[in-house]
Amino acid sequence: MTEKKPKGNCRHRWTMSNVRNGYLVVEGCFHCRHRTSFFSEEPVPPQDDYREGDHFWSYLGSSQASKFDLKCEECSQEVPLKDVMALMLCMRCDSECGVYKAGSGEKGSKTWAYVALCANTSHASGRCVTKPGIKALNEYFNRGIQDPHKKIIVVSCESRKSVDTCQGIVLADVGLTEIY
Amino acid sequence: MRMSELVKQGVFKTFNEPGDKEIKGVYISDMVSDIIGIGPGNLLVTLQTHKNLIAAANLVDVAAVVFSRGKTPTDDVVALANKAGIGLLGFDGDTWTLAKKLYELGVR
Repeated sequence: MTEKKPKGNCRHRWTMSNVRNGYLVVEGCFHCRHRTSFFSEEPVPPQDDYREGDHFWSYLGSSQASKFDLKCEECSQEVPLKDVMALMLCMRCDSECGVYKAGSGEKGSKTWAYVALCANTSHASGRCVTKPGIKALNEYFNRGIQDPHKKIIVVSCESRKSVDTCQGIVLADVGLTEIY
Repeated sequence: MRMSELVKQGVFKTFNEPGDKEIKGVYISDMVSDIIGIGPGNLLVTLQTHKNLIAAANLVDVAAVVFSRGKTPTDDVVALANKAGIGLLGFDGDTWTLAKKLYELGVR
C-alpha cells in the first residue's frame, strides 16, 4: 500500500479522474444574445427551445466532448471541474483581450494561452471557473513538456473580451463527420 | 526513439519540419475529447486533419502527429503546427498497418 502525503505541503501530481463522455450543447438567447452551454450525457443531446426568466434559449449546436476532474496521485486531493465546459486555444486575435495579454509571456518563451470556458458567457451570476480549478489545470498541462521554453497558461473565460469576435479554437469533436 | 531517427527511416511523408522530440509512446485516436487526456511525448496517430486536433496536440505536448490513410492537412493546419513546433507526418496505409510499421521500426 502506498503512503499518501498530507495535502498541505504536497507538490501535486495531477491525473485525470471521473472522465465522462457526452455532448457539449450550446444554446443562445435571441433576446440578450448571450450564450450558455451544458454537458449532456444523454445518448442524443437535447435540442428543445425553452424560456428561463428573461431568456429564450435556442439550440445552436453540439459536439462530442468529455469532462473530467483532477486528482493528485500523491495526496488524493480532488479538484472538481464541473464548471469547465470546454478548453479553447487562444488564436491571439485581439491585443486588447485579457487572454491575449495572459499569453504574452516573456521574450523567448513559447507561451500558449488556453481558456477554460464556463457555462454562461454573460457571467451574470458572477461565477466562472474556480481559481483552484484553474491552478490545477495549469499544473496538469505543464507537466512533462519537453521544450523548456514552452509554457501552457490556462485562464478562465472571464478574461475574454468578446465571445462574438473571439477566434479561439474550442477543443471539441467538431470534425468527426469530415473524416471521409 | 527520437523523431529524427523515425523520419530517417524514410517511411513517412513530412508536411513540415518534424523536429527531434523524444517519442515516449504512441496513441491512436480520432477524437479531440479523448486526446486531451493523454500524457506528453506521445506520437499521435489519427485520421483527423483539422485545427482542433493541433490545438489539442499542442496542449498535451505530443512528439508529433502522423496522419494515416493518406490524409493531408491544409495549409492553415500546417501553419498552426509550425507555430506550435509540432511535426506532421503522413502515411498512405491504414491505421493498423501504420501501428504495425511503427512497432517494426522500434517505436514502443
